[in-house]
Amino acid sequence: MAGGSTTTVGHSYPRMEGRAKVTGRAEYIYNMRLPSMLHAKVHRSPISHGRILSIDTSEASAMPGVHHVITGEDVKKVLPEPYYGPAFHDQPILALDKVRHFGEPVAVVLATDPHIAETAAQRIVVDYEELPAVFDEVEALTSDVIVHEELKPAGTFADLKHLAGKRDTNIALDYHLQHGDADKAFADAEHVFEHTFRTQQTMHTPFEPMVALADVRNDHATVYSSTQGPSFVRFELARLLGWPESNVRIKTAHLGGGFGAKVYVKVEALAMALSLIAHRPVRVALTMEEQFYTITKHPSTFRIQSAVDKDGKVIGRKCEVWWNGGAYADIGPRVTQKSGFTAAGPYDIDNVAIDSYALYTNRPPAGALRGFGIPQLVWAYESHTDIIARELGIDPIAFRKQNILRNGRPQAVGTIVKDGEFEAVLDGVAERMNWNRPFDKGSGTKLRGRGVGLGFKASISPTTSSAIVSVNADGSCIVYCSTVDMGQGSDTAMAQIASEVLDIPIEKIRVVNPDTDVTPYDMSTLGSRSTFHMGHAVRLAAGDARDKLHAMAEEVGMPEGSNAPLPELFIRKFGMRAGAIVGSANYIPEFSPPNYDTGQSTNATPFWMIGATGAEVEVDTETGQLTILRLVNVCDIGTPINPIVVETQISGAAVMQLGFTLTENMVIENGQLTNPSLADYKIPGFFDMPDTMENGYIDAVQENGPFGAKGAGESGTFGVSPAIANAIDDAVGVRISEMPITAEAVFRALREKQGKPLEEN
Amino acid sequence: MSPFELSEPQTLQDAVAMLDASDTGIRPIAGGTAVMLMMKTGIFQPDRLISLRGIESRYSEVSVDDAGDLHIGAMTPLRRLEKSEEAAQAAPVIRRALRRLSNVRVRNVATLGGHLAHGDPHLDLPPVLIALGARALIVGASGERVIEIEDLFRGYLETALAPDELIAEVVVPAQGTRRATYMKHTTRSADDWPALGIAVSLELNGDEVGSARVAIGAATDTPRRLKSVEAALAGKALADETMQAAGDAAAAEAEVHSDARGSAAYKRELIRVFTRRAVRQIMEMGTGGAV
Amino acid sequence: MGGQKKTIGFTLNGRRVAADIGVHQNLTEVLQEEFGLFGARESCGQGLCGCCTVLVNGIAVTSCLSLAAFADGADITTIEGIADGETLSAEQDAFIETGALQCGYCTPGFILMTKQLLDENPDPDDDAIMHYLSGNLCRCGAYPEILKAVKLAAQKRKAG
Ligand SMILES: Cc1cc2nc3c(=O)[nH]c(=O)nc-3n(C[C@H](O)[C@H](O)[C@H](O)COP(=O)(O)OP(=O)(O)OC[C@H]3O[C@@H](n4cnc5c(N)ncnc54)[C@H](O)[C@@H]3O)c2cc1C
Ligand code: FES
Ligand code: FES
Repeated sequence: MAGGSTTTVGHSYPRMEGRAKVTGRAEYIYNMRLPSMLHAKVHRSPISHGRILSIDTSEASAMPGVHHVITGEDVKKVLPEPYYGPAFHDQPILALDKVRHFGEPVAVVLATDPHIAETAAQRIVVDYEELPAVFDEVEALTSDVIVHEELKPAGTFADLKHLAGKRDTNIALDYHLQHGDADKAFADAEHVFEHTFRTQQTMHTPFEPMVALADVRNDHATVYSSTQGPSFVRFELARLLGWPESNVRIKTAHLGGGFGAKVYVKVEALAMALSLIAHRPVRVALTMEEQFYTITKHPSTFRIQSAVDKDGKVIGRKCEVWWNGGAYADIGPRVTQKSGFTAAGPYDIDNVAIDSYALYTNRPPAGALRGFGIPQLVWAYESHTDIIARELGIDPIAFRKQNILRNGRPQAVGTIVKDGEFEAVLDGVAERMNWNRPFDKGSGTKLRGRGVGLGFKASISPTTSSAIVSVNADGSCIVYCSTVDMGQGSDTAMAQIASEVLDIPIEKIRVVNPDTDVTPYDMSTLGSRSTFHMGHAVRLAAGDARDKLHAMAEEVGMPEGSNAPLPELFIRKFGMRAGAIVGSANYIPEFSPPNYDTGQSTNATPFWMIGATGAEVEVDTETGQLTILRLVNVCDIGTPINPIVVETQISGAAVMQLGFTLTENMVIENGQLTNPSLADYKIPGFFDMPDTMENGYIDAVQENGPFGAKGAGESGTFGVSPAIANAIDDAVGVRISEMPITAEAVFRALREKQGKPLEEN
Repeated sequence: MSPFELSEPQTLQDAVAMLDASDTGIRPIAGGTAVMLMMKTGIFQPDRLISLRGIESRYSEVSVDDAGDLHIGAMTPLRRLEKSEEAAQAAPVIRRALRRLSNVRVRNVATLGGHLAHGDPHLDLPPVLIALGARALIVGASGERVIEIEDLFRGYLETALAPDELIAEVVVPAQGTRRATYMKHTTRSADDWPALGIAVSLELNGDEVGSARVAIGAATDTPRRLKSVEAALAGKALADETMQAAGDAAAAEAEVHSDARGSAAYKRELIRVFTRRAVRQIMEMGTGGAV
Repeated sequence: MGGQKKTIGFTLNGRRVAADIGVHQNLTEVLQEEFGLFGARESCGQGLCGCCTVLVNGIAVTSCLSLAAFADGADITTIEGIADGETLSAEQDAFIETGALQCGYCTPGFILMTKQLLDENPDPDDDAIMHYLSGNLCRCGAYPEILKAVKLAAQKRKAG
């Protein structure tokens, strides 16, 4: 597939925007100001569930410098149906009638001075009738507390067309999968195991907080946003406005992190509505604190059961997963379904039953976060798998290998696995950890252990990416695509692909920041889909341009294989340095939709992402404190387009998951979120790093991928949490089944084991 | 942040004069790290701040007097204190404790006076200074007074200072042959405000403890001495049983509450372990030189 | 409302400048709104992430927790002021070469802290680096690469 003499793909090019970033001059939307714009400050709900009785804006409105104070009712006057969401149209731009979570936007102050807007926002007085609230996903299933009285499916995405929601329950979606006959397997089993695992609510904390600037005038809206999905934002804002998509323009720049927080609509609809009302440009720039009220990662409960035969073969697995979607569904239903079908783990199990539920609660909304539900599942199934191995007295790696899913075998969803190097990934970890050599288990009050975790993920499907590649008359080239570079290095990867296909040096290639008036449609930058989907689109668009250049060369009589420089060619054709050759392409992989009764599909995903982690830990038995001595992360990412970028993606993903495993936790007490700040919500810093960390990927080729590549942004997260829990078990013989794994949790488990349980308080 | 006014006096006396005993809306600001945090989170909305940054430079100095007492001006940035050779000589535990206190940028501007006057129980230096027997020189409209650091803290963000009083200086008495150590423990992430701080200062006669000063911070409502631990150590041989007894006494004496950093029961165990480890650490420092 | 104003004059990346500010404004805000410098940026807003790091009189400070009023008369260097024209500083080069940045939001803060560290200690070991940089957070998790970048920067500075 490669072009001519330039071999760009497969090289560790430094990021194209590196210079801009190290000089502090990189463009972020947070840095943007528009002439005559107003600053918005949001007044938020201080309770988790309640009816709004009245809103008194008089004092705020009277403050000098305040331009407008706007409530949900004001929004309704200009947008009669002001609800948005990718799965359900359930989220109001500003609360209407009810608030459903702590921190929900209730009213907004607009002022030229942000300090005035902030002070005025504190002076809005809202009277609530507080309602009982539900925070736990399992309780939500049967609770009398109903978060939404009515549900409106969005019907936007092909894979979520069947959504209905169940009236008078908190169930947004239930997903069921049947593969073989699980009941029979359990009846036949030699051993049966059952465990329940839980994960907590966490947040992405992108360092550039969410921001949108909207300028709506006449019949045209321009919104500058730090969004991961400009095409979707355009679609949704156009729908809200009742305008054609051509009248709505979404522009992005570099993102200061996204991790899934900035997909779908976040603050864009609010900014748009405010500008519509104020007739001026409006900037909605959240603070770090406000991000905690905007989008989070699903807490979950997972009950998993396994049927094992006398030889240690897992013959059946039953999975029940409850996803805590918070007050608004966001993309939770897709998490429930997409992640749901991999809930039985990377094993070749003939009989699988999965029930997966997306539930509404009164927590801040949950959506996509690096791994899209997979880390929650791996936490459970790899902890469970490890317990089984230990109880059967089989080496945990050997037990996994005995049951592992291999190419050519059907995954539980019914799709035959292709280019999924599960075993090689696991071997990669075992090898780097010297698994077969003796391990120093420590002594005294410092005991050591090691463990592994292996996880996998299907790509989201079916989704479309489009790209345009334009070759200029001087031989330079511009790539137009709506993939957003939020730090994952996509601009560099796309440039490498165009460079490779067109045989143009990468220095002469520019990748345009997404702008929906300029760059064509892309489903979104999420789920590690860009390298594969947009990589293909750019490859094909560049190929289209290359073919046109060849045709032009022929037309002007340049011999085939001539190495005349490109500018020569344009001069011959256009008589001067003029013109442009434009290639374009759409890419959508093949897909067969699952049967909704059995969940089965013959082609559920274009590729599988696989990641494993090995951990060596030391436990201080007097305090429960944990030291991560070593963390080894190995993934199957196909063949990397840019090895150094891929390695840092694996490493960064593992570091992030380390935070979710050990320290991060959104704590709700008495209906209030107690720690919405980096002072109290602890993300990993230098001293939380493992003593040593190794990251790698195995030699592999994704046959249907661009240049053999596939997604790599999430795989490093998969195995981290269970690897650590398994290592703790190996060290001190206690099992932690709930994240985060705090020192206190370990200490309590140790005391429990010694028969001296620590009192609650 | 809501707007407020700012005064920038050039002398400590002028600063004191600008304060008002009956108006807590007027507050001094030194490094500003704590004040800014409180203003940004809306905990505190002042009408006027009195900046101490312009006052006489002698309040930012560290020196040792003839008696060997260490004088630290209240406006001394923590980073300057950390780097001060005088302080390192007089009480090396201060430098060690500072290394893990917050971060370099905060230490570059945060002052010792602000650190103490803030009255937040989750700070590192109060137990250290209490264990060292330090005192503060306080200047108010009605004159000067001296207060032991152990008597400074009254409650959450509450101190013995009147709204129109300022800390001018902190004095750490000469430590003689005493050795001290500080154990900081965090429970939420490695880098954090302490969940527990234990400072121990011992006078050793060979392998026997002469006198002991032990202070706890962060886990209790206010930083304070643990007198039962001091008693458990005084006159005892530096042996395992003594350390054990010290740990047990600490766990029994300290009044702790459950919070985001851990349950009370867990913190009591931590206190037991870290008090023991602190004493052991002093023992392991050996006998060579004052530490 | 609007509060008390003050005119401050200071040296910014080697140039004398002045601005009329509100005394309640922090330094990050003034650098952005008055001088269009966005390399110091507010993220956590609480002194924890270091995204807002600037050098004041040669000392690294958290500009989100600094009143701009205190900049009067000071000498301030931001990330925009450390390259020599088009020639990047050793630290900037090292961060690019080692891949020690992803989204780049934390990068200016880390680079300024690295510069300070190497000014104080030209040959830091891992422990010294970690202690010095522990007040900076990177949500993209580039810590291993940042460690490499600091060491490379130290080498580059020694090589001149
Ligand atoms: C990100 C971060 C992390 C931190 N981590 C830690 C940590 O790990 N351990 C730790 O111990 N601390 C930590 N701190 C707290 C830090 O030590 C204090 O904020 C700092 O010491 C306060 O000093 P300051 O000069 O900035 O005080 P300011 O903010 O100026 O003042 C604090 C208080 O003291 C008053 N005040 C100031 N000076 C005087 C004076 N001379 N006389 C009377 N009153 C005065 C002020 O009115 C105010 O009430 C952290 C702070 C931050 C921002
Ligand atoms: S923004 Fe100032 S330290 Fe985080
Ligand atoms: S590179 Fe994104 S936060 Fe550090």
